This record gives sequence, C-alpha cells and structure tokens, in this order.
Amino acid sequence: MHDARDVEDRRLQDAGEHKLLLAGYFHAVRERCFLRLRDRDAGDEAAQRVFERLAAELARGRTYPVPFRVVVHMVTDWTLRGFYSPVKQDDSLPEGWDPEAPDAFQHVDERLDLELLFADLPSRQRDVAELLYREGLSHDQIAARLGVKRNAVDQALHNAHAKLAEKLRA
Amino acid sequence: MPERVEDLFAEYAAAYARGERPAASEFLPRAGAEAEALAGLIEAFLARAPAPVPDETTVALFESWRAGESPLLRLRNERGVTRETVVALLVKALGLNAKKEAKVGRYYRELESGSLPPERVDRRVWDVLANALGARVADLAAWRPRPSAFEGVAIARTAMAAASIEAPATADTRADAEKDEVDRLFNVAPRA
Repeated sequence: MHDARDVEDRRLQDAGEHKLLLAGYFHAVRERCFLRLRDRDAGDEAAQRVFERLAAELARGRTYPVPFRVVVHMVTDWTLRGFYSPVKQDDSLPEGWDPEAPDAFQHVDERLDLELLFADLPSRQRDVAELLYREGLSHDQIAARLGVKRNAVDQALHNAHAKLAEKLRA
Repeated sequence: MPERVEDLFAEYAAAYARGERPAASEFLPRAGAEAEALAGLIEAFLARAPAPVPDETTVALFESWRAGESPLLRLRNERGVTRETVVALLVKALGLNAKKEAKVGRYYRELESGSLPPERVDRRVWDVLANALGARVADLAAWRPRPSAFEGVAIARTAMAAASIEAPATADTRADAEKDEVDRLFNVAPRA
C-alpha cells in the first residue's frame, strides 16, 4: 500500500523538492501532536519542531535507509518526548533513541504499515479498505469499481473498521 | 448523545483518505467518555496510513503555517488576488452597501494580519473568503498569530485583566445597537 507513496517520497527527496515532501506530512504530524498534547498551540509548537528538524536534515543532504514516512513517525515520537503530555502513550521508540546516530533509522518498524493490518481481513473487506485508503474513493465509487451494491460496501467497511480498531488497540 | 467510537474512527479515516484534513479536535468531543479510546485509534492510524499527496493549497497552507503567516495572506498572494479584489467580493457577495467598502477593507486587513480574532467572524464572511481563495473555511479560520514568549505573557496578562473588568450591561447593549451590518459580520465594536 505504501509502495507508490514511498517511491514518490524518494523521488521528491532526490529532486530536492523538500517543501512538497514535507507538506505531505503536514496534517498527519500536526494531528498526532495535537492528539498527544491535547492543546492546539502546544501541538503546533511540537509539530514546528518536527518539521524544523526534518527540513534541516534534508537540507544537509541526509539520506535514510527506510522510507521517509518512518523517519517522520520516529522524529515525531522523539520530539513529543520533550513535551509534557497529559495522555499516557506507549512509545514505539527504544529508550535512549538518538536521531543523530548513524543507524538511527536502520530498522523499519513493521507496525507502521497499514497494509499489514489489512492483511488478515477477508478479501472483500480488504479490497474495499484498500480502495478507500489507497485511492481515496467514495463509497459509491468503490461500489461501482467492485460491481457491488453500496450497502455491501458500507457493510464491508463497517466490519473492516471494527477489525482495524481492534488491531490498532492491541 | 456520544457517537460510537468505531463510527467516528471510520468517518475520520475515510475523510483522511480522501485528503480532506479532518480535525481530531472536532471528533473527540463527539465520542464523550470514549474520547481517549478514539484519540488512541486516530493516532495509531495516522502513524500508519499513507500520507495523501499534497495539493497546491495544502503546500501553501503548510508554508504559511511554518512561517507563522496568515493563510489568507499566503493564499491571496499565491492566487495573485489583490486585497481590493477580495474586499470587493466580500461587499458584493454579502450584499453590503458599496459605501461600506472602506470599512470592510479595514476589517479584512485586520483579519489578515491576525489582529481581529477569526473565531468571532461570521461564517458567511469565511464562506466568501474560502470560495475566493480556493480553500476550506476550517483551514483559513483556524489560524492564530504565533505569539513570542514575551508576547504570550503580555497577551495572557491583558486577557486576564480584561476578564477581571466587567463592563456594564448597558454599555454592551448600546454598542450592539450602534453596530452596523459590517460590524456584526466581523463582530467588531463600532469605532469612531
């Protein structure tokens, strides 16, 4: 699911299109910071630091052995550690993780792949979820693409989301 | 009545997948006591979901946000629209008297500079601006000027001082009576 986006991120990085590369993560980072800190101003301050760090690294020509989305996720988590959070969160980073370390981004965290969450879904639910999240199709468009009724799409998504929520909670 | 977490999560995730930039801050209150559960789900989802390819507006919003600039200013410049054009559009679309154009221009300039609180401005104003600049109301209206540490303290003290002073009810009533349509749209007390 991430392949096309990862390739595009790599292309933007190689072409020096850092503004476009970072803009793709604008909303996700800002939202994650808000959700962790529960305050829009504090969240924005944290998100600013995330993007300052990423922009500085890109400007220095740093390359990463993992997809850029993984870098964004790890830097976001790392930055949020420096802020007081009213919400207790399980942290996916190892203790003492250092973004400057040469092997900081050596290991791809497989938990960061939505596709893996979809892998166990029944085929209809997986097809519907992928068209929704990969292509951003509306429910009606998905129904047309798969040649099924809109109700069938709604039902498949309802079941898929219930399973997705269960797995994300685990 | 709180909505089901799974339904809210599905609504958020679907909007995100469509590139709509849903705001978690609007979803959490809808979950009532389950807000924490919903927040956890959304955050876990955002860490995994593919980032939508940013469109031109998203890039401009991102740039203005990073620079601490008003998105109104950034988008207007990006679109090559003059302030006078935006003001003329506001006057026409809101059905205002053409003689009020200077006043609308003054309030719009304050809105663009961050000196007029956006949350007090009427939704109809935002609708016109969003339409004129090809953006969404939420993207434009959410901006606040970023205070420096010193300014933050000063603003907080001013707000506290203002809150401690109770204006006589008659003054509010008189001010409301003197407001014209432009004052009401921008929610500004009449000025001399």
